[in-house]
Amino acid sequence: MKRLTIAVLILAILSGCSSSNGGKDSKKIAIVVSTLNNPWFVFLAETAAKKAKELGYESKIFDSQNNTALESDHFENAIASGYNAILFNPTDAAGSVSNVMKAKEAGVAVFCMDREVNSKDAATSQILSDSYSACIELGKLFVQSLNKKGKYVELLGIVSDNNTWNRSKGFHSVVDNYPDLKMVAQQSADFDRNKAMEVMESILQAHPDIDGVFCGNDAMAMGAYQALVAAGKAEKVKVMGFDGAEDAINSIKEGKLTATAMQFPKTIAELAATYADEYFKGKTDFPKKLPIPVEVVTSENIDKYIAYGKKE
Amino acid sequence: MSISKYRATLSRFQSSIALFVLCLALSILSDKFLTVDNGWNVLRQISVNVCISVGMTLVVLTAGIDLSVGSVLALSGAVAAGLLKNGIELPGNDLFIGFTLLGTIVAGLLTGGFLGFFNGAVITKFKVPPFVATLAMLTIARGLTMLWTKGYPISSLGPSFGYIGTGWFLGIPVLVWIAAVIIAVALVITNKTSLGRYIYAIGGNENASRLSGINIGKVKVIVYTISGVLAALGGIMVTSRLDSAQPNAGISYELDAIAAVVIGGTSLSGGRGTIMGTVLGAVIIGVLNNGLVLLDVSPFWQQVVKGFVILLAVIIDKANSKAE
Repeated sequence: MKRLTIAVLILAILSGCSSSNGGKDSKKIAIVVSTLNNPWFVFLAETAAKKAKELGYESKIFDSQNNTALESDHFENAIASGYNAILFNPTDAAGSVSNVMKAKEAGVAVFCMDREVNSKDAATSQILSDSYSACIELGKLFVQSLNKKGKYVELLGIVSDNNTWNRSKGFHSVVDNYPDLKMVAQQSADFDRNKAMEVMESILQAHPDIDGVFCGNDAMAMGAYQALVAAGKAEKVKVMGFDGAEDAINSIKEGKLTATAMQFPKTIAELAATYADEYFKGKTDFPKKLPIPVEVVTSENIDKYIAYGKKE
Repeated sequence: MSISKYRATLSRFQSSIALFVLCLALSILSDKFLTVDNGWNVLRQISVNVCISVGMTLVVLTAGIDLSVGSVLALSGAVAAGLLKNGIELPGNDLFIGFTLLGTIVAGLLTGGFLGFFNGAVITKFKVPPFVATLAMLTIARGLTMLWTKGYPISSLGPSFGYIGTGWFLGIPVLVWIAAVIIAVALVITNKTSLGRYIYAIGGNENASRLSGINIGKVKVIVYTISGVLAALGGIMVTSRLDSAQPNAGISYELDAIAAVVIGGTSLSGGRGTIMGTVLGAVIIGVLNNGLVLLDVSPFWQQVVKGFVILLAVIIDKANSKAE
């Protein structure tokens, strides 16, 4: 009896929370993102949801918390509760394939955003942002702004995240060709501003004479920059980030950070929602892979950009 | 000196000895370790963990645990930053409430205090095990942080707020002053007050304490509230230091705090341990973090090394408590 009461209570609470809008024929879109613990992905998910709403669809955001198993649960729940399409930001290129296949078999179209899954035909379309080649561009700029020689530090993101290594590998594919550029420390700061500041403070003790810092995201670049300011070295050291977050854009404008890579989460998310809309209306031929170019942002072209996108 | 006496002395100074050995090894391996600048670095970096760990020690002494400190830190920091930057706009009749610097700090601390009080109340009134109650709060407070910040950092809080995290006072970083004051207050509480005696008594033997007339519920609620306030203080320190409240601040800080408590020789079953032990534990973790980066040890190995240090500390502690 007690259990029943609790069950009824929970049901009552849940039904109070979810505001389902009427229309039985209306299509529903699920938005499954790898994590909401990072503003970039929050922006991606919210933009997708906003666009879906504009196009007249009910949508719901699922947070996979960087956990492929949880992502799998989200897919099962989304399929079971009758979603017609999934706008999907995968946790893992290989591990997420089976989830996409599951949706495909159930007749639910999947549109990948930002990150790809390693399968040619599982997803209806993949709209991708290529971290690897963006970091090649950043690497070139890095080499150029250090005049091909000097000591530098690399701050990695979470070491179990494949984005961390895509970015690092792209960067090194360029920079490692210059023997006079020496990496004196490669440390992880977990994509976290506070950790980056602390790690940078320690590195500066061992290597007070560095010329550049390459960071796997903007939050770490901001933290590293603050450590450099505290040590009175901010003027001399070039700091580069990745993402195009608001703090980094403002900071480049003020001449603090040297560069970041702008991905276009707004373009990606809106396109994914538009594709879903077209799919519902009968379109079947979508580009299997559509790369959205990443642009390098510096003080020279900063006027064209705002946080997470271009000025309109 | 008899062996048991020798052991007892060793156990009392085990953390100091471990710290000394660690520092000795690091200064041999790197000539950058033993410098004044690096010393301030380490002290600044551990100041937040010291505040959280002191609260955690009080909780653990009562045989409890507080897993929610990292999330409480994030929410309190974000509340302070949000109020400072945006104030509160009441919808409807154009009512706007702005906050002074002190007001935002108090609001942040109250947030942490309330969440801690809530933890304590749930644990005592509904007899929910502390592990479960604070695990629930870990999720609740993180979710509230996301709601409050909408998932984005709150940045550019201004130089006067930044003074807490980056300023110096009488030649010592403000962060270190705060940690020192917290340690001093906690030492007084644990050693000189009846509250301190009750905390140890409850952890030692809850039934006996109840029979001797101690209001166990009240003491526990106070202890969890203190833990919440100290986590909030940590949140304000981190936020001020970064000039930004990050929605994912403080993730896994509870583990660093528990590690400091355990390395410091406090028993997780309660009743035994000291504030100074925990402070030494926090210093050891800070020195280890700093040293591994100075030596540019691979991030993969750093995690392995830290795990083994915690394990070693607990094994030695177990051996010592048996000897006693």
